[in-house]
Amino acid sequence: MNKPNRLLHLVCPALLLICSHNLNAEQLIFTIDGVASNQGKIYIQVFNGKDAYRSENAIAATIIPAIEGEVRANFADLKPGEYAVRYFHDEDGDGKLATNLLGMPTEGYGFSNAAKPNFGPVKYEAMKFVITEPITSNHSTVIY
Amino acid sequence: MKRRILIKNTLAGGAALAMAPWPLAASTAKTILRERSSHDFKHQFNAALPKQPKLLGFKNIAHDFARSELTIEGQLPKTLEGVFLRNGPAKHERGPCRLKHLFEGDGMVQRFTLRGGRIFHEGRFINTPKFAAEERAEQFLYSGPDTQIPNSLDVYNRDVINTANTSILPVGKELWALWEGGSPARLNPESLDFEQFIDLGEGSKHGKRLQGLPFSAHPKVDTNGDIWNFGLVDDGRLVIYQLAKSGKLKNLKLLHTEYQGGILHDFLITERHLLFILPSIKRRPSIKGLFASIQYDDALPMQVLVIDKHSLSLKRTFELAAGFAFHFGNAWEERDGTIRFDASLYPNANILGELSDVMRGHIKPQLSQSQSQSQTALFTLKPSGSIERVLFHNNSEFPRVSAAFTGRKNRYLYFTQALHNSFWGTSVARMDWQTQTQSHYFYGDDFMVEEHIPVSLNNEKEAQFVMGTALHIPSKRTCLNLFNANRLSDGPIMRAWLPYHLPLGFHGAFIASAT
Repeated sequence: MNKPNRLLHLVCPALLLICSHNLNAEQLIFTIDGVASNQGKIYIQVFNGKDAYRSENAIAATIIPAIEGEVRANFADLKPGEYAVRYFHDEDGDGKLATNLLGMPTEGYGFSNAAKPNFGPVKYEAMKFVITEPITSNHSTVIY
Repeated sequence: MKRRILIKNTLAGGAALAMAPWPLAASTAKTILRERSSHDFKHQFNAALPKQPKLLGFKNIAHDFARSELTIEGQLPKTLEGVFLRNGPAKHERGPCRLKHLFEGDGMVQRFTLRGGRIFHEGRFINTPKFAAEERAEQFLYSGPDTQIPNSLDVYNRDVINTANTSILPVGKELWALWEGGSPARLNPESLDFEQFIDLGEGSKHGKRLQGLPFSAHPKVDTNGDIWNFGLVDDGRLVIYQLAKSGKLKNLKLLHTEYQGGILHDFLITERHLLFILPSIKRRPSIKGLFASIQYDDALPMQVLVIDKHSLSLKRTFELAAGFAFHFGNAWEERDGTIRFDASLYPNANILGELSDVMRGHIKPQLSQSQSQSQTALFTLKPSGSIERVLFHNNSEFPRVSAAFTGRKNRYLYFTQALHNSFWGTSVARMDWQTQTQSHYFYGDDFMVEEHIPVSLNNEKEAQFVMGTALHIPSKRTCLNLFNANRLSDGPIMRAWLPYHLPLGFHGAFIASAT
């Protein structure tokens, strides 16, 4: 994946989001526990539906400081629907999820519903949740 | 609300997050009802135990063995002081579950301390994170390569189920317990406590990039002390390691191969090359379980990859007749580039299934013409490409050579033998390549003989002693045996009895006391 493409994926949903601001009133409170240190930041992405997740087309994203223990991110202005969240703890501050030579994460990461990989990648079905209420909470534990 | 910051690098972790940590292992699909469950394995094993006394070697071990003194028959030479360490799977059952493959159990280190003419034993489970969590919970929490545990916890990387159960490697003053699917486990050399999984990239240019990479259980220690090893990745890639004798990484390479066998247990070194001998096996992904899915393919030649030690790149390949092997004793290279190596060569991979069968109480019956025994094979690979193979019908396994000859021409090869086509070894033997003759000592059909290792003292190259354990079935006791390496057939010069039996294990090492 080249950089211009990556930018496009992120910027387009952002623009959509801004344009349709008033139609989307729901809020997501996403709590992450098990954060190992105060070092670095946590990068979080929100996806609206399976297709968006598969195409890595995030509808919202945020970066919050890492705090040992528990952190919380709020996402407002989401329209009702099915969502999935993924994140990583960028401890070394390079803005990327560090991996080993085989592509396995060596920094903390996680998913909505506290879904974990198990002999294979996390399935979208394990991390999906529905936003219908004005305020929806979801929770995850960092996998190190 | 939080700022909606959309940073270009946010997605950089995406590909990695989507990656499979271990696509090779047991499927996460719900266990099909018809399939034998781990409960059935336990029931069947325990029902068979009274009728099949040799199953004793595969019985579950409940607790550590506290330090006890062995009863010595014969004489322990005063010059022979040190520790003999062995590793192998020992925790086969928890609650109603019994593991489905011998390779899955948590590792236990057996330590025999030889001092002042006396011998002491203790056995310690390797307290990996998996073992510790399951010990607290008093049940298996994680599914293994073959065994599905109901409602098991997620296995999100290999070291989550690293049992460190295969071999033991002294590295400087450290002690590493090795598995082959993940990192080496560092043990406290005194207490044998698990300390941590080793990050082989630490202090190197690779940083954390080597965390969790597979590191196999048959490293080869070169004559200069360098430790060579490899790890097999699911997709057939090989991670090749060269470590200094301190354990510090010197060189590393990720080598692409077409190998789809799923497991690769051992390899070889010569003075200038590394040899990877890829057996004639292929995974059938539709079959659940790593070991269960491995199929022998007669049409698939065994491939030898010859890797240059300096560049770690593939230099040439040879194709051998189809076969299967876990273990190789040694390899060496002659002046003209001819490579010779030995293998304990099986005519098929039935042994993989047989090592699951024993877990449910089925021991292969003694056949007059066994179809699945391994034989010592000596291969010669000529620079011209021609290949010779000499086969010795000796039912050999666990081949070892004196450490000083690793990668250099060895005269002697030590191994165990299963005489009378028994399922497990009943003899210890030595091949003399110079005369192409073998000598052996037959323990008896009521023994199960484990790996025996050549031991040399005082910087002698050739071994003076051969040391190994054997399980005596009628008395349900394990004994440690010492032989004069040059007079194996005379029988042990010393035998020391434990008051109990040990689970059959895999590989060991002797560390002589500093003099």
